Amino acid sequence: MTDPKPSTNDIFAKIRAKAAASAAPESAVNPEAQPAVSAETAPLESGTPVAAPRSTADIMAAARAKAKPADDAQPAAAKPGSTSDILAAAKKPAGSAPAGSAAPKSPADIMASIRAKAGAAPAAATQAGESVLGAAAPAAKIDPSKAAGLSAAEMIKAARTKTDGTPVVPAKPKIALPSKPLPGKSAAAKAKPEVGRRSMLTIMVGAVCTWVVLAWSSMIAASIVSLLATARFMMPNVLVEPPTKFKIGPPNDYAPGTVSTKWQAQFNIWVVNAEVDGSPVIYALSTVCTHLGCTPNWLEGEQKFKCPCHGSGFYKSGVNFEGPAPRPLERVGLRLAEDGMLEVDKSVKFQKELGQWANSSSFVGVT
Amino acid sequence: MLNPHPDLTASVLIGLGWYYLILFGMNLLWTFRSYKHDGEFRNGVPKASFWAVVTAVLLMTSAYHFTYPPDGFLIFMPLWFKNFFNAYFSNPVLYFFLSVGGLVFMIAAREWWIKPTVAWVLLNLSLLFMGLSLTDYDFRQIVGKPDNVPIVAMLFIVAFFTWIYFKRAVDNDRRMDEGRPLFEQEDNEKVLVWPDLVYTELICMVVVTAVLIFWGIALQAPLEEPASSMKTPNPSKAPWYFLGLQEMLVYFDPWLAGVVLPSIILGGLMAVPYIDFNKLGNGYYSFKQRSFAVTTFLFGFLPLWVALIVLGTFLRGPNWNFFGIYEYWDVHKVEAATNKNLSQFFWENLGGIPKGSGALDILLRESPGILLVLGYFFALPPLLGLTVLRTYFARMGVIRFLVFSNLILWMAILPIKMLLRWSFSLKYIVGIPEYFFNI
Repeated sequence: MTDPKPSTNDIFAKIRAKAAASAAPESAVNPEAQPAVSAETAPLESGTPVAAPRSTADIMAAARAKAKPADDAQPAAAKPGSTSDILAAAKKPAGSAPAGSAAPKSPADIMASIRAKAGAAPAAATQAGESVLGAAAPAAKIDPSKAAGLSAAEMIKAARTKTDGTPVVPAKPKIALPSKPLPGKSAAAKAKPEVGRRSMLTIMVGAVCTWVVLAWSSMIAASIVSLLATARFMMPNVLVEPPTKFKIGPPNDYAPGTVSTKWQAQFNIWVVNAEVDGSPVIYALSTVCTHLGCTPNWLEGEQKFKCPCHGSGFYKSGVNFEGPAPRPLERVGLRLAEDGMLEVDKSVKFQKELGQWANSSSFVGVT
Repeated sequence: MLNPHPDLTASVLIGLGWYYLILFGMNLLWTFRSYKHDGEFRNGVPKASFWAVVTAVLLMTSAYHFTYPPDGFLIFMPLWFKNFFNAYFSNPVLYFFLSVGGLVFMIAAREWWIKPTVAWVLLNLSLLFMGLSLTDYDFRQIVGKPDNVPIVAMLFIVAFFTWIYFKRAVDNDRRMDEGRPLFEQEDNEKVLVWPDLVYTELICMVVVTAVLIFWGIALQAPLEEPASSMKTPNPSKAPWYFLGLQEMLVYFDPWLAGVVLPSIILGGLMAVPYIDFNKLGNGYYSFKQRSFAVTTFLFGFLPLWVALIVLGTFLRGPNWNFFGIYEYWDVHKVEAATNKNLSQFFWENLGGIPKGSGALDILLRESPGILLVLGYFFALPPLLGLTVLRTYFARMGVIRFLVFSNLILWMAILPIKMLLRWSFSLKYIVGIPEYFFNI
């Protein structure tokens, strides 16, 4: 106020000085009551003026010290910035109670102290609410509304102090509280002793369970629907695929001892005219490698099918002889149609290792 | 007459000129470092003078590349060396044994090659070898492919990180022998996340982005013709990081090499922390205290993964045939690779393979392979536990030891199968194509 434009550090220094002054007797009586914030808070609480706050821990300690005396009408120094602030402020009435003077170390402790307080005396609960609000309200002393040039931080502070003049109502603090301590504290702040904590808990748990169940069941339902929609895609209305039965010309298109690759690109078959067990036959081989499904190449010079992926090799007969392919190429159905043309039926496969190459539908004898 | 596959062209020489210029810059910096740290020869001449000479030669080499026409150019890989290399080194067996031998040498001679000067000489030699090889047309076709640039980079990066590991491990081993504190304890200067770590990460991010942008602009994306189920490119190669897997597929059935082995690799790596009973080497580098773990890992990583990637990338050509690094990728190269199943080998001497397609006939036919595999996975672990790995068995307990020994055996099955294929043309130990079961 003397300084028209106090810096943030100034404000903090004032807060701390005031806090230290008011906290001095208390901390002198019960130094252990200070929660384990840090060693830096020690000089503050013994009333030593320090030029500038060193850390967030300082400010928090100051806020807590301010909130310490239960009957202190002055609002607390700063808005609590964190969970630990709020918890510290809430813990205060419990701390002033005869038994609970130990510093809470864990959320469980805090919850326990709040619960004890709420269960013991409704008045204490009211105080807790007040103190929470008190902690939430900024320092009135530093109200800089008269000052001309205000820094941004001061404006914010001024905005916060507006609640200072209004009567203290044990309403919900405007701070976004973390979810865990919230139920216990709001139960305490509402100061409704007729609502037992057990029934309160039941209501909360029931509500949470409902939402969880709802969320999960809707997610599962949505997943099932999308799964069904995906399954529907497996059965298309129209399948655009080359026909499985087609004619490839008369047998004398295929000279004895040759492999024809002319249908490879269109129908994925090779047509071979070769001798099998002494008699010349024509058969159609599928161009799918039996190792991993690549398309081998017919190498005329080497008289073999050779796969470019892993080097599997097949004789002209389709029998595998090199590389990793575990079994021979598959034959597809072939017959001599009534009009004298060869007709391929790709819907049937003939595998040598199953003895199916003996099947008369797998080849056409050349006369 | 115009050679369609010229070894030397003007643009190649310009590129190599830049290559040697970079080498020159590197060695210039090394000369300064050597002058500061390396001291002198016995006669009082600083050791850096050697590097000064090397640097000067590299500068002249670079200038020679920039200025001289391709005709009558003198610095290239000699033909006799290329022929020698193609004739004797384009062989997967030799390649595999060389990579394993390299690993053994790396571990045995770790005290030697971690010395900065030795490592620098090795780096220079490998770069010179690459520079000379780049004068060969076929080598350039393979190494210069945009696909393969990351693999060339990976080779140097893997070597560098292995070197870092061995350097610090050997240093710590020495400290422990002499009773001095570990490097990590002595140099435990802590730094802050902000700014030290965040700044480092920011710089790395910027550098990586710049490299990627430069890379994306300088090298064209290796796009091919539209995919077709009717036509498979020849050779057809997986993405580079899967080439080790593709090489594994050459020796195994797809479900084994494509499904079972990768799952075991992943699951086995996850199981390592639960198997490892050695509490030493935690938080610091050490080789002596973890020699088994490090050797096993390096064997699985270097010869069985990185070397197979290199094999698949540079040495596998059309029809998945094996080609030397200076060899023309001839689509019609004929390689005798006829192979047989174990059952064929076994029954041929005993009067023919049992015929019949019933389940019992098949079991009889494949019984030698099945017994071999069962013995490998069920009889070998207890045997190992009672003999070679007795201390491990004692410290691990039954279940952990069985998991451990099975993982080791699964890892060993890959080189074993490769060697069997190469040496005996063995296709499958158990081959039941009727039921898609091949091992």
